[in-house]
Amino acid sequence: MSPAPPRQRPYWTALVLPLALYLIVFLVIPFIHIIVLSFYTYSPTRIWTPELTIANYVGLADASFLTVLLRTLRLGLVSTLICVLFGYPLAYFLARAERRVALIGLFFLVMPLMVSAVIRTFGWLVILGRNGLVNGAITALGLERLPLLYNETAVVIGLANVFVPFMVLPLMASIERINPALEEAARNLGASWLATFRRVILPLSRPGLISGCLLVYSAAISAFVVPMLMGGARVRVIGRQIYDQLLISYQWPNASAIAALLVIATTSLAFFVLALMRRSARQEPDA
Amino acid sequence: MALTPTVEEQGSAPELEVRNLVKRFTAQSVVGPLSFGVAAGEFVSLLGPSGCGKTTTLRCIAGFEVPTEGSILLNGLAIEGQPPNRRNIGLVFQNYALFPHLTIFENVAFGLRLRRVGDAQLRQRVGHALELVGLPHLAARYPRQLSGGQQQRIAIARCVVLEPRILLFDEPLSNLDLKLRLAMRRELRELQRRLGKTAVYVTHDQGEALALSDRIVVMSNGRIEQIGSPQEIYERPANAFVADFIGSSNLLDATVVGTDGAATIINAAGLTLRAGVVGHTAGARILAMVRPERIRVAGTDAAAGDNTLNARIREATYLGQDLHLTLRLDGGQELSVVTQGSAARRLVPGEEVVLTVAAADIFLLPK
Repeated sequence: MSPAPPRQRPYWTALVLPLALYLIVFLVIPFIHIIVLSFYTYSPTRIWTPELTIANYVGLADASFLTVLLRTLRLGLVSTLICVLFGYPLAYFLARAERRVALIGLFFLVMPLMVSAVIRTFGWLVILGRNGLVNGAITALGLERLPLLYNETAVVIGLANVFVPFMVLPLMASIERINPALEEAARNLGASWLATFRRVILPLSRPGLISGCLLVYSAAISAFVVPMLMGGARVRVIGRQIYDQLLISYQWPNASAIAALLVIATTSLAFFVLALMRRSARQEPDA
Repeated sequence: MALTPTVEEQGSAPELEVRNLVKRFTAQSVVGPLSFGVAAGEFVSLLGPSGCGKTTTLRCIAGFEVPTEGSILLNGLAIEGQPPNRRNIGLVFQNYALFPHLTIFENVAFGLRLRRVGDAQLRQRVGHALELVGLPHLAARYPRQLSGGQQQRIAIARCVVLEPRILLFDEPLSNLDLKLRLAMRRELRELQRRLGKTAVYVTHDQGEALALSDRIVVMSNGRIEQIGSPQEIYERPANAFVADFIGSSNLLDATVVGTDGAATIINAAGLTLRAGVVGHTAGARILAMVRPERIRVAGTDAAAGDNTLNARIREATYLGQDLHLTLRLDGGQELSVVTQGSAARRLVPGEEVVLTVAAADIFLLPK
């Protein structure tokens, strides 16, 4: 036996360098700057002065901000649930469809992402407005008009529309890896469609479901354009709050504190969920 | 309590009956019409090359395909409209299809939990099923920790624990290596006998079908070619396809010349041969079939009435127990012959030999 070669990083490690550099310059450094700023003191004349304080964070514990925070989290949760509800059947269909059908379906699925957020949202305004398509149909049936715009329902519709691909793609990848014979085996052993889903498909596609939920949830709670255009002034969310504090009130330290809170909340949620997943994966043996 | 069915009952109504089953996929791809019955406790194989419709037939019985026409009767009741989860028919899959996220215990308990079987009874039944396949010590493991043979046994236990009305097998041994396949074959047959379950077994492996089955349904191109016991299928093939597919055989184009009372005289490639069957009209064009192991080389033991043929050895392959010869007849046809490797004296390519074939070993098949 020859001695084991010294531990060496594989040569292709260098391939991540360009992106790593980009992220450090344009994401990590600005983020550190935001954190630092969030501890600086607001100054009406100079925007901020480098005197350390925790007042920006303490100030967040007021009722109006907490309302915004809770609303944002609630909208994120509901949008995620709706994406699961619509996404699962679609992901299953795409995973099991023949290749050509799946490709066409995927194209339609990601199409919302190819259209600018503003244009897509204005499309919704046309459909959901007071005299839009939906209310037109409702009044034609002789029913009361529904308030479909400038409320939380509108924001949820808009968010679910944009983010459903983030749910479907990881779910589809997970479902594709489930051998169809397992579903037949479950049916053969007496499972109805629902039982087959609950006992076979759901547990085996859980990694995809979790990734999808994480992606949709973190994207939904940091959304800005959709809540602003479809929710109007009444449905204020954190993204809007940061925007207003930053560009209208020039409360940069305060805006930084909110931003830092948002980032820390989403990343710690992601870490928590991923750690849970890793733990449940460890309970099952290695291949 | 289940009584042993009498011969009369077995004869009158099969437990499973496939009646004029047709499954049409496209205009070109049609299975059927097929009809066959399986008696209670019987082991029937559907045997044929891939694409012959055997798996489609099995999937119709299990409920994963809906027949285009015809019906499937279980104990006289039509089941073709029932969803698969209502049929209580056990199916053992080719790739085992064990649930990777569940332990072996939970895999076997899967169907019982769906039936809301109580905890104590569930434990007892799962334990019993695992003992039946000889793997009670693996209950806590996950499927991927098991070998292929063990996984297949768990798949069988998972079906048997539900006491299904019949058992279906979809090429269950084809993913195992040869030695294990032979061992599992014996075990499977023994288990089926012990449980007394009716079984339908799909395979493309004729050895498997011959070894396991009470009866074999030979299929090709969506049709049944022959139904019979292994002996009948092998020794009295109904046509050239069956003769060729089951075992190996020599097929010669022949014309019926006449009869001498006990045998039919035929002319095959310039040779006049006696075949030990009667009832063929003179002038009919037929196929003469001889099994390679029924041809004897260097016919010192030729009996009266045997056919003798002159041939030259073209190839000799020594396989230990057997010696496989390829010979060319005077007329130019090639023949395969299998003789005992040890008994055969040294036979080398180029050598001229005399072959003898008993009249009873030549079968005449429709062309």
